[in-house]
Amino acid sequence: MKTLKHFIYIIVGLVGLVACKPEINTPKPSHGTANFSRFIAVGNSLTAGYADGGLYLQGQLNSYPAIMAKQMLSVGGGTFTQPLFSTAQANGSGYLQLTGFSSTGSPITAPVTSNLAIRGILPVPGFGNVTLYSKYSGDINNYGVPGIKLLNITYAPYGNLNGFYERLLPGDSPTNTTPYLAFITAKPFTFFSNWLGNNDALAYATSGGAGDVLTDPATFAALNTLLINTLTQGGAKGVVATIPDVTSIPYFNTVTEGAILAGVQKANPSVTGLYINALVSGTNYAPRVATPADLIVLTFPTSKIGQPVSTPYGTLPYGLTPYTPIDNQYVLDANEVTLTENAVTAFNSSITSTANAKGLAVFDAYTFLKNIKSNGLVTNGISLNSNYISGGLFSLDGVHLTPRGYAIVANEFIKAINSKYGSNIPLADVAAYGGIKFP
Amino acid sequence: MKKILLLVLALIPVLTFAQGFQVNLEGQKQIGMGHTGTGLVQDGASVFFNPGAVVLLPENYIQAGISPLLFKSDFNPSGTNAQYQSLNKVATPFNFYAVWGPKSSWWKLGLGVYTPFGGLTDWGKSWQGKYVLESLDLKAIYFQPTLSIKINKVLSIGGGFVYNRGSVDLTQAIPLGNSSGQDGQAELKGTGKGYGWNAGLFIKPSSKISIGLTHRSKVSTTINNGDAIFTVPASVQGGFPQPNTFTATIPLPATNSLGIGLYPTDKWTVALDVNLINWNVYKVLAFDYKTNTSSLQDTYSQRNYKNAVTLRAGAQYKANTKTALRFGGGYASTAVQDGYVTPEAPDANRVYVTAGLGYKLAKGLDVDVSFEYEHLMSRTQTNIQSQLSGTFKTNVYIPGISLAYHW
Repeated sequence: MKTLKHFIYIIVGLVGLVACKPEINTPKPSHGTANFSRFIAVGNSLTAGYADGGLYLQGQLNSYPAIMAKQMLSVGGGTFTQPLFSTAQANGSGYLQLTGFSSTGSPITAPVTSNLAIRGILPVPGFGNVTLYSKYSGDINNYGVPGIKLLNITYAPYGNLNGFYERLLPGDSPTNTTPYLAFITAKPFTFFSNWLGNNDALAYATSGGAGDVLTDPATFAALNTLLINTLTQGGAKGVVATIPDVTSIPYFNTVTEGAILAGVQKANPSVTGLYINALVSGTNYAPRVATPADLIVLTFPTSKIGQPVSTPYGTLPYGLTPYTPIDNQYVLDANEVTLTENAVTAFNSSITSTANAKGLAVFDAYTFLKNIKSNGLVTNGISLNSNYISGGLFSLDGVHLTPRGYAIVANEFIKAINSKYGSNIPLADVAAYGGIKFP
Repeated sequence: MKKILLLVLALIPVLTFAQGFQVNLEGQKQIGMGHTGTGLVQDGASVFFNPGAVVLLPENYIQAGISPLLFKSDFNPSGTNAQYQSLNKVATPFNFYAVWGPKSSWWKLGLGVYTPFGGLTDWGKSWQGKYVLESLDLKAIYFQPTLSIKINKVLSIGGGFVYNRGSVDLTQAIPLGNSSGQDGQAELKGTGKGYGWNAGLFIKPSSKISIGLTHRSKVSTTINNGDAIFTVPASVQGGFPQPNTFTATIPLPATNSLGIGLYPTDKWTVALDVNLINWNVYKVLAFDYKTNTSSLQDTYSQRNYKNAVTLRAGAQYKANTKTALRFGGGYASTAVQDGYVTPEAPDANRVYVTAGLGYKLAKGLDVDVSFEYEHLMSRTQTNIQSQLSGTFKTNVYIPGISLAYHW
């Protein structure tokens, strides 16, 4: 009996072993040849954490630079401060919320209009109205400014024309004279990320080629060189990203010519095509039948189709005759797509060559998002793609990302940094970041 | 006309069964000796280990044992220094055997109730692989009536019919967040049944050696009309109609065993076993939902398992008339090929050691205790289907106790 007792003690002791959990040895954190002690992020809305058609606290907290900075902590990263909206004004500029789906499965969105951080609307002569936001006066690591183009970085009065930039500056519009480039480089830093240039193509594209112009590639190249030279002159290392192909975002791939036509034909089978006002060459536009190569914007109110329009030739249905084509602002027609793509290609070649010349890490967002557009992306058991809402990557505006999308982007930046500088910044847990919120 | 948008949500709730689900805890005496026993006559557990040996038991037996099992797994996602550990949950594999026959007759009857497959893994709801698996509770209970016949002095045979009652309860997060950002949840829950058989051959050419050969057949287990419970935000619930059911068939594989028993002295018994497990029957796993929608399609996923081999060895030392000491160990190769490792039972080649002690409490009453420690080699994998990428490392701790009454 004594032996048995002993044996039971041994077994109890062994059971106690379960406290010893299995553990996997992970590589020692290393910053490699880079120094992450003061990391700054340069860029536009994507960098600021803009999502669902607005900049708001929840989006800011999930910006890709914030995610990167959190991951950098274990390899010598310092405090990362963002120009956050206050909790009381958490909804910032306001944003879109999904409220449900129609009987046909179309999403219904509604703007959030409470707890905004809007300070006022300032009419600027010769420019238009500028929405002003509550000022932010603390330290800044994330310099993402929604709407900014690379074209704007040396323009001194820019701080009076962009409310998101104005809110970071001490002075009130229209008294600001600090160009963006001077503002971001005022305080020393050791590492930077740069993802500027999207709006130099996107602003043109999202307005259907009607409301803006593409930045001239030569101007882009010169400004990009200036920007990178300035960012690296103090010895800082960094990572840059290329500009995604605009055709890889749901903003241009959701409301398609084919889908609208199919809907029209359901009601009226005799209709054979939609008419658009398409670019012929230079600034000449002419009506023609739309093809799948013409991209219709996400915000196009499809209810306009077929509405009576009075013309010199009588009352005709909108979008269905050469005399009543779909307005230019709703369509990035095939020729405009080509112009945009050419510009993006040119921009990316300057971004890549400048970065290579300076030995910077490059995240090729162009290739990455194009690949997701064609093949989707499966990670951690989540199947993602570039579709609107169901894809899980893009937020409700069809251009900017969900927190999960930003986490994926942050990881791509981290991979580029790690491979360039021999660091091992740990990747973020994509599954811990949410997608679209469904009611 | 409304905006025409098709909302297709990609979802893959998929149940996987891995080699890790074979539970080799079918008798405390045998566990103590490295889970050998195909070539031995120990006790009622021969119903499982070798029905051919049952007839050679000198007495009638009724016995029951339990082996509380703690499965501790650690996951380190690739490119991170994060570690996720499975929660402490104790599974309870058990065994029950009864053997009866006239004294020294040429035949004996047996009944075995045991749990040759099962798994209990809980990773919680916030780990990196939550969209692949949160928790799984899988049980297979085999009922096996057996007849054993002595052909001559050297050879005996036996066989039994197997009825399996299986149950499964799996939970998984669905990447559809509600307005507060909480994930949707899928739960697949059901019971099923399957049939098979178990046969064995036992040869004892001399007092120094005995040899056993067995085949336990494949038991194809079908879960019919299991509950498929999906909790998702109200606006997308239409894609996941409730109530809904699923049907799936899992082939629990056949096992071929060869065992040898050696008796160098009165006090020593040495046993060697080799198992070949026909996991290659497990090619695909298909899930058929009763109500399909564009969001909820039937799934058909590749498993492509390969056959696995287990090598076992053990020994027993009779310290005195009342006490037996046992020890053993073994090595099992994994059935799961690279690219198919899943968190349900993150499988890998494994080694294990065991120890055991038998004690005679009273005339005809034995108590046996056992302990097994299993270590699964760390395995770094990217799953082809889920793209969950990282390193798994697992330890299993299994104490056990049984009581046997014989007369």
